[in-house]
Amino acid sequence: MIIPIRCFSCGKPIAHLWEQYKEGVAKGGNRKELLDKLGLERYCCRAVFLGHIDLIETAAQFKKV
Amino acid sequence: MEIQLLSSDKKKNKMSFILKGADPAFANAIRRCAIEEVQTMAIDDVEFRKNSSAFYDEMIAHRLGLVTLTTDLKTYNLPENCKCNGEGCARCSLKMTLKSSGPWQVYASELKSKDPKVKPVFGDTPIVKLLKGQKLELEVTAVLGKGKSHMKWSPGLVYYKYMPEVKIGEVKNAEEIAKACPPGVFEVKEGKLFVNKDELLKHDLAGMAEKVSGGAVTIEENPEEFVFCVESWGQLDCKEIIEQAAQEFESQLEEFGKLIKEK
Repeated sequence: MIIPIRCFSCGKPIAHLWEQYKEGVAKGGNRKELLDKLGLERYCCRAVFLGHIDLIETAAQFKKV
Repeated sequence: MEIQLLSSDKKKNKMSFILKGADPAFANAIRRCAIEEVQTMAIDDVEFRKNSSAFYDEMIAHRLGLVTLTTDLKTYNLPENCKCNGEGCARCSLKMTLKSSGPWQVYASELKSKDPKVKPVFGDTPIVKLLKGQKLELEVTAVLGKGKSHMKWSPGLVYYKYMPEVKIGEVKNAEEIAKACPPGVFEVKEGKLFVNKDELLKHDLAGMAEKVSGGAVTIEENPEEFVFCVESWGQLDCKEIIEQAAQEFESQLEEFGKLIKEK
């Protein structure tokens, strides 16, 4: 839906790094290098980024139940 | 007891040091005090005036709760220790407001705080995305708290390992051992194996050397020396976390001593 504020496992704040990462990937950057540059060292934080898909804009078009 | 600073990186909010002449119980007490007892600011209460975004109130409140806030320990008290008995006054709570309308990406920096010392650490944290016509208006209350009641109040990660002591005997397959371990930990010079101590402390997986060498290399743990790593989430800096942890530990012991005397 939207990037979690913190990493699920370790609790590190990660949401503020998402837009930089997304931009980098859109420009064709290497995901490993981008994650290293952003300081996401543990595989828990990296997994949150690698598995995330922004869906809020799609979901926002429908009414809340 | 002796402390030796290994590295300190203010940009990454990380620090590591060696604690010598302590025992596991003490090291663990410090670690637990840092994670559970050190106080930080976090949003605890959210009052929604308007929310026509795609998210339910609870989801936005949860996201806001996890936002890290810069903490000023001198001016604020824990609500339960405050003169107002936890009712909420200027000395124990801080109100912030957020008003936004779409189309717009709402960031944590839009939280308007009356106290310039307490604001989101990472202003560009996305909270919610508003489409055209969607509105968000809310008031939040930030209070001091402890990590043991909710991890959002925890100041960071603190962990330690025993100091590894590597003994190298008669090694036949030096190259193979060096390859099996994280790069840089072992160096091979003229067929002989050497340990790089700085690299050894940075890695956790050097234990493979014992297996590959067939017993010629042994790694033992020194239970009186600890390699501490501190990683701050931004509310306090690493040094403050350990200082506060030590202070909390001390005040707990003092209270314990008092109770013993009374009985």
